[in-house]
Amino acid sequence: MKRLLSWVLAAVVLSGIAFFMGGYANDVYRKLLLWVALALSYNFLFGISGQVAFSHFSFYGIGAYAVVIFVFQLGLPLPLAVLAAAGLCAVLAAAVAIPSTRLEGFYLALATLAFAQLFVVVLNEGGKVTGGPGGLADYRLPEILGFRLAGPWYTALIVLLVLGTAALLWRLDRSWFGRACRAVRDSPEAAAAMGVDVARTKVIAFTLASTLAGFAGMAYAFVDNTVSPTIFGLENAFLLLFMVIIGGSGSHAGAVIGAVLLYLLPFGLSPLIGHHHALVFGVVMVAAILLQPKGLVGLAGLVRRARA
Amino acid sequence: MILAVAGLSKRFGGLTAVAGLDFVVGKGEILGLIGPNGAGKSTTFNLIAGVSGADAGEVCFAGEPILGLAPHQIARRGIMRTFQHNRPFAGMSVTDNVLVGAHVRFSRRVFGNAGEERAQRDRAEGLVEFVGLSGLQAADVVTLSFGQGRLLEIARALAGEPRLLLLDEPAAGLTPVEAERIAGLIRGIAARGIAVLLIEHDMRFLLPLAHRVVVLNFGAKIAEGTPEAVRADPAVLNAYLGSHAPA
Amino acid sequence: MRDFLELAVSATASGCVYALIALAYLLMIRPTGIINFAVGEWAMVGAFAGYLTLSKLNWPYPAGMAAMLGFMLLLGWATERVAVRPLVHTGAPPLAPILALLGMLVVVRESVSIGFGPDPHQVPEPFGFAWQKEYMVGVTLAVFAGAWLFFERTLAGRSFEAVALDRKAAALMGINLPRVTAASFAGGAAVAGLAGILVSPNVSAHYLMGVPLAIQGFTALVIGGVGRVEGALLGGLLLAFAEQLTVRYAPIPAGYAQGVPLLLLMLFLVVRPTGLLRARA
Repeated sequence: MKRLLSWVLAAVVLSGIAFFMGGYANDVYRKLLLWVALALSYNFLFGISGQVAFSHFSFYGIGAYAVVIFVFQLGLPLPLAVLAAAGLCAVLAAAVAIPSTRLEGFYLALATLAFAQLFVVVLNEGGKVTGGPGGLADYRLPEILGFRLAGPWYTALIVLLVLGTAALLWRLDRSWFGRACRAVRDSPEAAAAMGVDVARTKVIAFTLASTLAGFAGMAYAFVDNTVSPTIFGLENAFLLLFMVIIGGSGSHAGAVIGAVLLYLLPFGLSPLIGHHHALVFGVVMVAAILLQPKGLVGLAGLVRRARA
Repeated sequence: MILAVAGLSKRFGGLTAVAGLDFVVGKGEILGLIGPNGAGKSTTFNLIAGVSGADAGEVCFAGEPILGLAPHQIARRGIMRTFQHNRPFAGMSVTDNVLVGAHVRFSRRVFGNAGEERAQRDRAEGLVEFVGLSGLQAADVVTLSFGQGRLLEIARALAGEPRLLLLDEPAAGLTPVEAERIAGLIRGIAARGIAVLLIEHDMRFLLPLAHRVVVLNFGAKIAEGTPEAVRADPAVLNAYLGSHAPA
Repeated sequence: MRDFLELAVSATASGCVYALIALAYLLMIRPTGIINFAVGEWAMVGAFAGYLTLSKLNWPYPAGMAAMLGFMLLLGWATERVAVRPLVHTGAPPLAPILALLGMLVVVRESVSIGFGPDPHQVPEPFGFAWQKEYMVGVTLAVFAGAWLFFERTLAGRSFEAVALDRKAAALMGINLPRVTAASFAGGAAVAGLAGILVSPNVSAHYLMGVPLAIQGFTALVIGGVGRVEGALLGGLLLAFAEQLTVRYAPIPAGYAQGVPLLLLMLFLVVRPTGLLRARA
């Protein structure tokens, strides 16, 4: 009961502050929340399940494009479009994950790298369907029951999405499934000997994480009311990786810290280094790995150790 | 009789690692599989554990054929194993490692099963005590000594509530004191009705522990019986001559 | 027919570039098992070195080439020293150097983008337009001949076990030879830089050219197989031909040509991860 109350409190507080922010701040806050959602699901995939993948941001994009296409080109009602987009993400994710299980872990990284690039090609060449290099725009979140979510209310919806993602992943992590994912990460042979179906665990983890990214993407589609291929290149896939590593891979808190830090830092660093925050992040990530190669414990781990 | 091996054979290219091996293990029995280097002990172990495929033969567990099943399916049937070189799950605590061992005992629910989770955790912590790692439940496995790691391997395998336990050289690398402790642990396990099949180099470890011993050489069984009988067997002495002559 | 010949020449030249990148990967994978995606950025650096020495400073071609190679050897050695050796020393998990190299990839790319700006830069051809493609093929064959001789005929080369891709990148065995690793990284960087400077007259030096090259090169490697040097060359040529034939004759928009290496990579990873050519027993 107590735990439920804390989640509700978090939801109220995190949504509430949106009502005290102006339009620009709300926009930044929404995007920050979406990055947090992405980092949490990516952390489950990379940190907890040990799968190196570069496709996560692509599923974010698939969710975004799919929901827009389903609603505004196929005329589906929004709830159905959301389900269909989620289903699409799940099917594509499984299609990538299933063949990859037969091979060593790093093949997944390569296959997902190719998948991510392929996604951008498809977006650019998609003509009328995807809007090509310009993307899709000129749409708005449809009304549900005569009510259109906008402004701080939409931010509140995103808060619920993030908290829902966090709660789900946190619950899974503490269950036999989360332990199985960690076991597969640490020693697949021993995991199998303990009764864990390694291939199935990997596929489920990948599909689940990717679908969660897809949900975040659907929320993203209505943040700027435009989707275009430019942001779905590998840049952001790398940034996501950096967030999780710097924050502390394997830790939910770490994912949040990493996302908040790396998303907000450029705003502060801009005066100094212009658009080249990627350079700083790259350096910091290399430093993070060099300084603590064994655990990739990141900042979250450092805080935990300092407290102990 | 919980495990029956018949006509088991395995070749690697031109090399016959195991040739027509037959033996049985009874409920609550400790069977030692022993032999000089390259005798085929590890290969036999791996064939039963589902790690490699056999070329011929049958393995029956509790009346059901299990040859050809994948390792995780073997575990599900009630056969758990340890590894010769400790393979802990490095990112988790001792108790969590043991909880992975209990994987097959969990219902498939992830929501609303707090009771089951708590019960399993209590059991796991109890197992950690049972094997002699008192107080180390929350420790990171990387902090364990080699000997403690061996105990963890056993605790983890026991968590699956197996009817047959496969131990891969459980005494290897242990001090005499640690080895004695493991021997006592194994006796306690067998006393609970769990069959134990262990492969071992060291006759001295096996002698006071095993109910029966099967001796392999060049992939074939050359002797079988109680440790005392086997130790005096001329074929066995011949095989070991010059290497691990039994004390 | 003339059409096809032109395509063949063009594909061969592209294939050589991919082959060189694949070779760069191979030089590092063989003794260490590390997959270094930064080779794409190294090619990019080579292209920019070409721009700097040949366009801006107007040095004669051999001087520019030599300067580029020297710089790349240094860059490769430095990368190994900074991002790989300390991790191997402390017994880090095999993922760590790969991730560190990924970080380096970004650092290199951003540095070049800061230093040279985001626009493409023209790099001159060494012997004029007419002989450009033949030159590329010639250089590539020479490099491959050298690599083949090294791996097949010298003691040092033969001692590198082919750390096949189907072993986990955990196979960092043989790393008790730090000099070997440093040399392999230096060599890999030089070959990658060469690929960059060879391709740049056609495509211009641009700070984003690295990742596509890295993917194409890796696809070539997977197709050809990591066990043999010739595999890289075969893979590069096959990939280039597949690409160009698709663009020229397949009834789909030209933009999709970029998808060819990606689809081939995914296909090969699933169906034939060890590549077409098996390592010699």
